[in-house]
Amino acid sequence: MSLSSDYLLEPEARRWTCAQIAGGLLLVLIVLFAWLGPLLIDADPARQQLARFLEAPSLAHPLGHDQLGRDMLARLLHGTRLSLSLAVVSVLSAAIPGVLIGLLAAWCGGWIERVLAAFADAVLALPGLLLVLLLAAFAPGGFWPLYVGISLALWVEYFRVVRAASRILLASPQVEASRLLGFGPGYIVRRHLLPALLPRLFTLMRFGLAGAVLAMSALGFVGVGLQPPTPELGVMMIELLPYYREAPWLLGAPVGVLFLTLLGLLLLSPQKGRS
Amino acid sequence: MNILSDHAALRVQDLSVWHGQSALVRGIDFSIARGGVMTLLGESGSGKSLLAQAIMGNLPASLRCSGQIEIDGERSDAADAALRQRGWGRRIALLPQEPWLALDPTMKVARQVAETYELVSHPAADTQDESLRAARKDAHTLAVQALASLGLSDAADKYPFMISGGMAQRVAFLATHAAGAPLLIIDEPTKGLDADRRGEVLALLQRAQQQGMSLLCITHDVWLARALGGELAVMLEGRMVERGQADVLLAQPRHAYTRRLLAADPACWAQPRAQAVASPPSPVVVEVSDVAKSFGQQRLFSGISTRLHAGEIVAVSGPSGAGKTTFGNIVLGLLAPDAGQVKRGAGLPRTAFQKIYQDPAAAFAPAVTLRQSLRDLVRLHGLDWQQLESLLARMRVSLALLERLPRQVSGGELQRIALARVLLMRPALIFADEPTSRLDPLTQQEVMALLVEHARQAGSAVLLVTHDADIVRCVADRRLLLGPAHEPA
Repeated sequence: MSLSSDYLLEPEARRWTCAQIAGGLLLVLIVLFAWLGPLLIDADPARQQLARFLEAPSLAHPLGHDQLGRDMLARLLHGTRLSLSLAVVSVLSAAIPGVLIGLLAAWCGGWIERVLAAFADAVLALPGLLLVLLLAAFAPGGFWPLYVGISLALWVEYFRVVRAASRILLASPQVEASRLLGFGPGYIVRRHLLPALLPRLFTLMRFGLAGAVLAMSALGFVGVGLQPPTPELGVMMIELLPYYREAPWLLGAPVGVLFLTLLGLLLLSPQKGRS
Repeated sequence: MNILSDHAALRVQDLSVWHGQSALVRGIDFSIARGGVMTLLGESGSGKSLLAQAIMGNLPASLRCSGQIEIDGERSDAADAALRQRGWGRRIALLPQEPWLALDPTMKVARQVAETYELVSHPAADTQDESLRAARKDAHTLAVQALASLGLSDAADKYPFMISGGMAQRVAFLATHAAGAPLLIIDEPTKGLDADRRGEVLALLQRAQQQGMSLLCITHDVWLARALGGELAVMLEGRMVERGQADVLLAQPRHAYTRRLLAADPACWAQPRAQAVASPPSPVVVEVSDVAKSFGQQRLFSGISTRLHAGEIVAVSGPSGAGKTTFGNIVLGLLAPDAGQVKRGAGLPRTAFQKIYQDPAAAFAPAVTLRQSLRDLVRLHGLDWQQLESLLARMRVSLALLERLPRQVSGGELQRIALARVLLMRPALIFADEPTSRLDPLTQQEVMALLVEHARQAGSAVLLVTHDADIVRCVADRRLLLGPAHEPA
């Protein structure tokens, strides 16, 4: 610190930045949209009216109708709800075991760490989609293999990041000092490790969320995941892709929702190196 | 040409640095003749580093400066940093503090020095491949020659982490100096170095001066200021309080602050009163018998046996790399010795063995306020918060500081908080690992005095690692010498 003067030492006000407020608002709006929307609009997302094929937006149907004459807004609302909840659940169920196993490996070291690392590498050697396909083969069309498969493919990232970062932290003077003062593992994880890891985990989860939505659409495309009548963002994107010239707003709707969700997460996540 | 030689290497007129409306550095005037030396002496926070950054034209964006700066006859408004930035490396260069951190860990030493020759000093004539290749080859030759001239031939093909701190400093010097800037600003060149390495740094600077460079040296090291000679200025709270020839000023300081600063140099500390060394009844805190430790092929020490008694201050000394910190960690039980035994006193809990770190900021959880950290500790052990507050008061730490994060508190304050935290545990043994080597002299004296006073009061044994022989002489009851050739006495 060559500039260790008072002006740098003022306590930092713990306030939300504008970007974080904007991101939070955006996410709240999207969640409200996905949660309350289906209750407010009682159009059936699966009801086909072939006469209204690719109908342009109107007041009664703000997003028009899709290629089978289904109400696009209703589909978007249901799709957002399904996709986001599925993505959140699979990301969380990848992140939680990934973080815990990563901490365990870094903490124990020795052969436990080596075995866990080898296992993670083995999982990584299988392409993620292949793993999901394998599971889906046992229970085709179901919800569970999808979710378990995506978690199983994603946890390795969390494991690797957490293990690498924790090893450095666990060897640092701050942790040594806390151990000497008598603090146990829980405290060290809570006060030393998690604050340092959270920004990285947020970034990973953000990418994981986008990845999960896209993975589901890819699986739907090869006929393993959720099947077309189900309104799901990824499936919708693939269904509507051929019509992007005639009705760009149709394709734009699910892409836009996904984009805004990721933007909200990006804005909300803690900024590093702000001092 | 006569007129040219009249130019000072650096002339600063009425230079001030502002943060909003408050002046952090104000009204500085001085000049350095060609080939001259000027030393700025002062404690951290006195604005001497800011002054250097202002001269370089490298202030943080939140600060602005006013006044005039003239480098080698070229005058510029202090606020016009861009002009001076164009002269970086060619007219003016800065050797940063702790230069081993400024080297690129992924690049070999010769390549790092060559880079300055290639890009700043002897850039390629055009962007043709041939010309670029020739420039790179020339640069490499020049870099190898330069390294050889400072006795660094062996280091040319090594990475920065493979060479010692003193060598890294010389490498950084060559890299900054390669483009031949006649004016060199050096920031805290001896911070955290032991006596041998300080001598190396001094030799390096004297050599540069003999080659005709002008030096502006920023330091809190009175020894270095005295050895460099030339002009000396003392900074306090952003002002120059005293200025003159170094030998005269150091012999007869006029300003009260200068006198305090000089008195805080460990060489001038009072000799300790005669201590009754470990009178028989004081219990043994830890007994070390015949321990040895090696890292890989390198044997650090072997056959060390000693007893530490309550209330005793033992200095661990030995050359750098002798395993002083490792020995302390073995005593604390953080490391297991390769051979021998460490027996801690009966009935002493694990938490009775505590450590004070060289860099206090590294010893606190960075994302947690100090109050939270300390409250967690008080709650964990069912201690009394009032007792902590009175300890902090005795350490002269303002309670308002506890609302801050560790990195928002100065090193001296944080080290005192760390000391209070350790004392709260009623330690039987405190292992103090270079506790003051990163602090400036006044703070160093204060922290060391507090450590000694409280350890004596609390009856804690102190195992002190320091590279400063004067501190050992003034503080320690006895010394423990480490080294590979050590035989039990």
